[in-house]
Amino acid sequence: MALQITKLKAGYGNKVILENCSLSVKGSETVVLMGPSGCGKSTLLLSLVGVLTPSTGKMLLNGKSLDGMPIEMRNIGYLPQDYGLFPHLDVLGNVEYGLMVRGAQKTERQKTALEMLELVNLHDLSRRKIKELSGGQRQRVGLARALAIKPDLILLDEPLSNVDQLTKAEVANKLREVFGRIKIPKIVVTHTPYDAFVLADKIAVMIEGKIVQTGTPAQVFAKPKNEMIGKLVQQLEVKTITKK
Amino acid sequence: MKLSSAHAIIILYFLSTLLILFAVSTILYQYIAALGSLSEVIKAIGEYRILSALWLSITSSIGATIVALLLGIPLAYVFATKDFLWKSMVETLVIDVPQTFPPVAEGIILLLMLGPTSPIGLNLAFTFAALVIAKVFIAGPFVVSFVSRKFREIRKSGMNLTARSLGADQFQVFTTIFLPLSFNEIAAGAAMCWARAMGELGGSLIFAGVIIGQTETIPTFVATNSQTLLIPSLAASILVTTASALALFSFKRLMAKGE
Repeated sequence: MALQITKLKAGYGNKVILENCSLSVKGSETVVLMGPSGCGKSTLLLSLVGVLTPSTGKMLLNGKSLDGMPIEMRNIGYLPQDYGLFPHLDVLGNVEYGLMVRGAQKTERQKTALEMLELVNLHDLSRRKIKELSGGQRQRVGLARALAIKPDLILLDEPLSNVDQLTKAEVANKLREVFGRIKIPKIVVTHTPYDAFVLADKIAVMIEGKIVQTGTPAQVFAKPKNEMIGKLVQQLEVKTITKK
Repeated sequence: MKLSSAHAIIILYFLSTLLILFAVSTILYQYIAALGSLSEVIKAIGEYRILSALWLSITSSIGATIVALLLGIPLAYVFATKDFLWKSMVETLVIDVPQTFPPVAEGIILLLMLGPTSPIGLNLAFTFAALVIAKVFIAGPFVVSFVSRKFREIRKSGMNLTARSLGADQFQVFTTIFLPLSFNEIAAGAAMCWARAMGELGGSLIFAGVIIGQTETIPTFVATNSQTLLIPSLAASILVTTASALALFSFKRLMAKGE
């Protein structure tokens, strides 16, 4: 088991957001955490990253407990919603960053960074400034940067939310293609059923701080466990029919 | 009578023009006044006492700016990234109070604290160090204020957390994210600090005194001689305001080029 989250409880101050939240992610699968805004998806992500400290529960990554482990020791690649790219560094500088702070030699980190940029099909943009990139390109630079540290787990927070509607399908397909080449577990957070169905190997539906249904996109699509999930799925059906 | 929108706008323009005229004429009038006795002003500028006061003003202000940067940047980082009890009060005490504090009161306090009767046995009164300390108290908050605003912005963006998730420890985040991204604000804070330190008077006057060639700066020269040596005082004023204005204009141009 790559990642095992058991009965997690977390929140902000006295406000509990996650309660009794459990989830497992195997091998190299992509789990999409889907649910309405405010249901606790980002709270779960931030607990995994190490920004939030859960009050109870366990998080085991490859058998190691994440409890109390400092952020920089977790070896988790994290792509925030706005991609969090460093504007004072170029594309290569961004991708190299994690290796640089870990003390890697310049030649070694450049080699790895270029490999990662090739993985996301951006090797020809290595000397570009961040402000010269499109939304989709920024997203892939962020992903390459997160992958360069050879993480044990990748977390992506709403990776398609800053991509415009016209190019969304193309960007989503490229992301899906890159996912196929990454052999580590991935958790993607989204509130959009379309993103979930395009990117997921497995969907975990979260409502009010709990995972209420998990399954393949086809399973969740065919047999939503409750009315709320049914409504989410319905949204997707309407969109798909309208598109056709 | 109801005021029309057009009339209201004209009044707004008129009021803002008044303030511009007041500020610009105050700055420029010293040059106009100097024209009347130009040769005497030029002669005064070349005098040892004024040149020495100018040198001490510039060097002590540079010293104060260096100290303010060395202490102010770490403090700005703490203010921007740590939440602690009474934080807002401490910030007000360190940033806002010194800027509104009566400078002569600052001088008296420093004299009592670090003068001949110092409770910690450290007597720095009437020295170059006293000049620097008096200026740091008044001008240093500019550095903390400019830099902490930018550091807060960086913290809000979450870039520091992304950097940590990539393996950077807190000090690496400070040196590789906070510092380079805040270069403009650090430079702006330093420029404002230096310019403010150049004009600092009250603290220097009381704590550092007016020893020619040792602690006499342009503002203290003007303050102690304006009644008896009007032309040299005018020459000294012109020197210090021109130096500050040139530094600020050059800084703004550099920043504009960088953007």
